[in-house]
Amino acid sequence: MKAVFAAATLFATAFLIQPALADDTCSSVKGDAVLGARAPEVDLYDGADGKRVQTLKDDAFPRCTPITGRAPNMMLRVNINGTDYWVAPHMVKYHFAGNLPAVCRNLAMGGEQEKVGSTRGLGEGCPKPGSGGTTP
Amino acid sequence: MGEPSLQTARERLEQTLKRARRPDKEAMESLRMRAPFWWVFVFLFTFSTYQIIMNPFGFSDLVQRYTQDVSDLLITGPYLYPDTGHEQISVALVDDRTLGELQMPWPWSYGAQARTLDALLAEKPRAVVVDILFVDPRKDDTLPELVDEIGRYKRAGVPLYFSGDPSVAPGQPPIRQELLDAGARVVDPTLLPQGIVRQYNVDGRCMNGEAAATLCKSLALTVYSDLYPKAPLDVNSDGLVELMWGTRSDPYNTKWMGLTESCDQDIGFFRRIYLAFFDPSQVRSRCPYESVIPVEKLLQGTDDTDIAKLAKGRVVFYGGALQGVQDRSFSPVNGLIANVFIHAMALDNLITFKGRPEQNVMTVGGTTLNNNTIQVFAIVPVILILAWLHIRNLRARGTERETEPRESGALFELLLEKVMESAWHWGALALALGAGLALTLAAGISVANWVEVIFVSAELAAMLMVGVPDAIWGYLHHVAGGIAEPAKARREHSA
Repeated sequence: MKAVFAAATLFATAFLIQPALADDTCSSVKGDAVLGARAPEVDLYDGADGKRVQTLKDDAFPRCTPITGRAPNMMLRVNINGTDYWVAPHMVKYHFAGNLPAVCRNLAMGGEQEKVGSTRGLGEGCPKPGSGGTTP
Repeated sequence: MGEPSLQTARERLEQTLKRARRPDKEAMESLRMRAPFWWVFVFLFTFSTYQIIMNPFGFSDLVQRYTQDVSDLLITGPYLYPDTGHEQISVALVDDRTLGELQMPWPWSYGAQARTLDALLAEKPRAVVVDILFVDPRKDDTLPELVDEIGRYKRAGVPLYFSGDPSVAPGQPPIRQELLDAGARVVDPTLLPQGIVRQYNVDGRCMNGEAAATLCKSLALTVYSDLYPKAPLDVNSDGLVELMWGTRSDPYNTKWMGLTESCDQDIGFFRRIYLAFFDPSQVRSRCPYESVIPVEKLLQGTDDTDIAKLAKGRVVFYGGALQGVQDRSFSPVNGLIANVFIHAMALDNLITFKGRPEQNVMTVGGTTLNNNTIQVFAIVPVILILAWLHIRNLRARGTERETEPRESGALFELLLEKVMESAWHWGALALALGAGLALTLAAGISVANWVEVIFVSAELAAMLMVGVPDAIWGYLHHVAGGIAEPAKARREHSA
């Protein structure tokens, strides 16, 4: 009896969390995607460095929207209701398969520039001290 | 009747001139031994006061500031300055690399600035201080986005400060009127025109339409007053804040800034002492003291735990370090650095010292004393003790002159006596150092503002060792016709 109850509980749990998992990962969308709103309000822009044209409440922002472009200033292009908009990355949860540029400096006091690899975390992917500043 | 007296006066004058030109060394020596205490005191006090107040050749200023730099690099920065403020402040920095990475030429549109501020707001900071001036009118359709951002900060309950332009004409807005109308809080970012930034303003211009008689504070002091009411600001408006610079860079900075060399300089104590005096550039910190949030990382919008730690609950200064923009100054511990770090360091000092930063003034009984006056007062006990010890030695030597000469076999004893005679001069230095440390601990006076006491004490001790005040007393007294010591007078009489 206990085994049946445990199996039923397991099945029910899996059944209940399945949509949530699907939502978070947007497995239905291939490639890069905006998973949903992160901020209470999401601004939509008409260009990567353009003007704000609309602001959506977080619950009005569509989930699992494919990212159709990324600008050097990190803005993400999405298509919402047939119109292309740009959104600021900090306002949304997103999945980006491509590499983000590493953020590194060759000492704040020096002007020397370093070429870097790619990483997601602050300082990750940066050359280690003493390595001569070369990119791994 | 008049002629003889005139002749006598002339003779006296001639004799005086003769003594002045060709003084009798023996007479001078005997008169020197009888120099009074008051003369030694007045002589030393006059010399000290001149040295401290008149600042000959800029010596006092140079000594003060040089000492402050060495103290920052050698003692306070690496060993004593605590991390209290460090843990509560960050700097979100736009530098040339940021512009290059984001392909966003400077100046950014108001919309881009608003997005950056919004990205900061998303990290839930305690407050944000914008060290970028938004004063010049320019055509930019995205201005409403920045105006709206002010509203978002208000709704989130996060204080947002904008730097105002202190050079605008009276009656003109220190930032764009639209931002003022949105309720932006404006602060005065003026820094002192110093080659190396060692001090920070207490007062600033009022920029929020305050009444004419209102006294407003400078940027860091305003932010501190607003955010740290539990430890109220206790600064004297007649003085300046003496900045104490930390040198131990934030570990997060080390993580992403030290590429070819580590931010943490592994320099031993004795080597640090040597370099601080002879090659300060070698001990200057390569990375800023305050935690830095690179703005491009912020704009990536990834869930980076480092960024969250650096921003959440902290006072975040948002500023730029851009080539060609005259917003940099020289710090004693970093060299050339963006001015936003100076405001951050000033706030760090205020937090660390709980609203009572080191200053160049102190208040005694409701009266403000500047650092020169403080130093003159501090040197008085040193002079009193030095003068007393010196007179005591002089009298002992004077008595010795009248006794039989010492036997040649007592050379060691003589040497020991000489050493002991000069050893007490070192006591003057210890006394001055003690007075200075007491001033720091009791009244929050910076080392820069009492170090002159030590230097002057050393000078006084050196002067007393060669007997300058008593030699001058002996000469002047001799020229004025002073009476030689009794023993010599007796010898002259018997001859």
